[in-house]
Amino acid sequence: MNKTLEVKELDSVSRREFFKKTASVSAIAATSILVPNTLIADDENIMHHVKWGTTLGHEVNRDPYGVPALYEHNVVRRTSPLMSSAGDMHAAISMTPLADISGIIVPNGLHFTRTHNGVAQVDPNKYRLMIHGLVEKPIVLTLDQLKRYPSESRILVMECPSNSAAEWKGPQFGTLQMVKGMMSCAEWTGVRLKTVLDDLGLKPEAKWMLAEGSDGSEMSRTVPIEKVLDDAMIVWGQNGEALRNEQGYPVRLMLPGWEANLCVKWLKRLEFGDKPWYAKEETSKYTALTASGKAIQHFYANEVNSVITSPCPEKDWTDLQDGDIVEIEGLAWTGHGTIEGVDISFDGGKNWTEANLKGLVLPKAWTRFSYMHKYDGKPLLLQSRAYDDSKNVQPTVNQEKAVVGVEGVYHRNAIITWKVTDMGKVSNVQIRS
Amino acid sequence: MFKLDRKLVTIGTVLALSSTLTLTASAADESVYKSKPGAIDGGVTYPRENGNYTAYRYNEQSTKGVNFGRPATANEIKAWDIDALPDGTGLPEGEGSVELGDELYEAQCAVCHGEFGAGGSGYPQLAGGNMDKDENGVIITLKNQRVYGSTDAPKRTVGTYWPVATTLFTYIRDAMPYAHPKSLSNDETYAITAYILAQNEIEIDGEEMDDEYVLNKEKLAKVVLPNRNGFYPNIDGPDAQENIRAFFADRAKNIGAGTRCMADCKDPGGKDGKTPPGVVEIKYEMSDVRPPYAYAKDLPPEKKDEAAHPGKKAYEANCAVCHKTDAMGAPAVGDIQAWATTLKHGIENVYKNTINGKNGMPPKGGTSLSDARIKEIVDYMVSASK
Repeated sequence: MNKTLEVKELDSVSRREFFKKTASVSAIAATSILVPNTLIADDENIMHHVKWGTTLGHEVNRDPYGVPALYEHNVVRRTSPLMSSAGDMHAAISMTPLADISGIIVPNGLHFTRTHNGVAQVDPNKYRLMIHGLVEKPIVLTLDQLKRYPSESRILVMECPSNSAAEWKGPQFGTLQMVKGMMSCAEWTGVRLKTVLDDLGLKPEAKWMLAEGSDGSEMSRTVPIEKVLDDAMIVWGQNGEALRNEQGYPVRLMLPGWEANLCVKWLKRLEFGDKPWYAKEETSKYTALTASGKAIQHFYANEVNSVITSPCPEKDWTDLQDGDIVEIEGLAWTGHGTIEGVDISFDGGKNWTEANLKGLVLPKAWTRFSYMHKYDGKPLLLQSRAYDDSKNVQPTVNQEKAVVGVEGVYHRNAIITWKVTDMGKVSNVQIRS
Repeated sequence: MFKLDRKLVTIGTVLALSSTLTLTASAADESVYKSKPGAIDGGVTYPRENGNYTAYRYNEQSTKGVNFGRPATANEIKAWDIDALPDGTGLPEGEGSVELGDELYEAQCAVCHGEFGAGGSGYPQLAGGNMDKDENGVIITLKNQRVYGSTDAPKRTVGTYWPVATTLFTYIRDAMPYAHPKSLSNDETYAITAYILAQNEIEIDGEEMDDEYVLNKEKLAKVVLPNRNGFYPNIDGPDAQENIRAFFADRAKNIGAGTRCMADCKDPGGKDGKTPPGVVEIKYEMSDVRPPYAYAKDLPPEKKDEAAHPGKKAYEANCAVCHKTDAMGAPAVGDIQAWATTLKHGIENVYKNTINGKNGMPPKGGTSLSDARIKEIVDYMVSASK
């Protein structure tokens, strides 16, 4: 039985109805339904030559920088005025269409982006990076000089600590893209900061690093020296090409696993000091107010987290029939280390079963998980729960809320629930008290 | 022979793989990569050894002597190193009064941050929160939680939330006014800082900040904001980084953590901590997204060939911040009715108001463009709103 052919005949909802009725009336097990050949119309896409097979295609270099297939034009980042100030889109955020991303690499044009004073357009010829403060040799680098340093590449997740911030008080957005799309994963290339500092001579009293951006918001953040010397990088490459403007072209700081806000874009200056700076984005913002009335500051790593990407509200199960074996797929990530595993629940968190990891399992990167499920048309409350090698387990909404309340804005990693109806529709709900 | 070799190698690989898999399965608790707990963020670190870093290889050759760039000159460092620490280190010379700050604020800041810093346009509120404290020194309104029927949000203003005042100075100087950052002098920045502190009823050395009060770096360094102790873990002093490490090590206590319960799991919560959870659906879906949701695999609609109006670019650079939507009370470009009202007294009147300023809009929208350029922009805005 060829499903593609049937879709021509009936739309997905009516098709499901058809099978439900057939199953109940004739008591045929859904798994063994065979539609008589006479019910299936011949597909004209097979019976006739298609247009692209009978005409000359485009010239090989028509688009010297290639573009996605035109038919994919709806796969785009999306933003919401609700996540900006007064609908102004210079200090705003745009989310990755997670449901349409395959694997663990987000194409550069779909990488989520957050700006505080618009997307700066830096002239690479005028770009300078200054490294100074408590170092023996304060230096200035041009972009070309910086790129002379030996490079390393890492596949790393970049997540805004506000990811899911709209969901603290209850579910608000109806799509995976808007619920969890303030994150992306890419291969980043640059130099380890330690390699640069080995030559500059870090003074022993250097305890903190100020990273400052050159855009209109002059984004700046304070980083403890331990992170600087462990895995911090200065990066200029993103998935094989130069950073996109939205990602801080030509250079951004990369602190693997930590808030994307700390990975300062359009990087201009690194200063080493013995005290923290109390920069604006680590005081007035990016501090998490808890129910105690006090706020968590210097909240570095994004916690262990996961979300099911198929099904999801955008990619539902309305085309499935009872008995279909279907893959439940999702993404897990942690800023604390490496994903060790993911559990899946079908009943809103009462009972759990282990899913399988698939593909590359890398530290501080998206990790895919997979579970083969026999669809039976019953309503579900689908959840995923990730755990990592730093002994972190993703909390329930209640578990997280009990400790930090609902006004913290940042670092939400509570378990996400997709409600699947008996028609295969998927919606964003929360299991909470 | 070649084929046989390859076959043997393949079998060897399969055997090696299967033994690895068994090992992994039998020791499910073991980490994916050799890891060391106790990182400052609560996580683990991985060793770089023998050319391996987790799944990555790296070049083990020494990078000693790798050295590019040139020494930074003293003047260059002076030009860029203008940050300020909470104790005032790094603040520049200069001064400004509350009164001058009031004028500057009205002209350049109120349009977004509201009269007296009270917010209202969707941009951050700067003053006007209740700063009363409980017996433990915690600002009471910061404990507001919009949950279980409560609707009062905690207000995060300079007076109720920010820990240090030096940040206010550097924030304004480096990143404000929003559309023209770095356009204020140090004196002007001191003045606006003074005005905002005064709106938050901040006292310096026990002195109220009246209109004549003049702020400078010495005085700014003395400001102790009400919520100075409202943050944790402690990041000051010699033990700062060990405090942070200890804090993030106990995530279950400090930021919330889950457990790997596998069957018949209970998850009570709520106000009493005992209410069983239920399914909460979206009440009012936030569906205003740009571009609108669309999932069809079809060809995009053909774009209209819009000849760019000469005023369009300048409009986008200077005016769109306020005029793109009507959220700030300005007639939104594209809003036909609003512009019909604006044009009621004729285009000359609109030119005049734009050049001289009207309501919340400063003269020429806060720009220093020529009258002719301003008119061109108005023409564009009118043409785009018909």
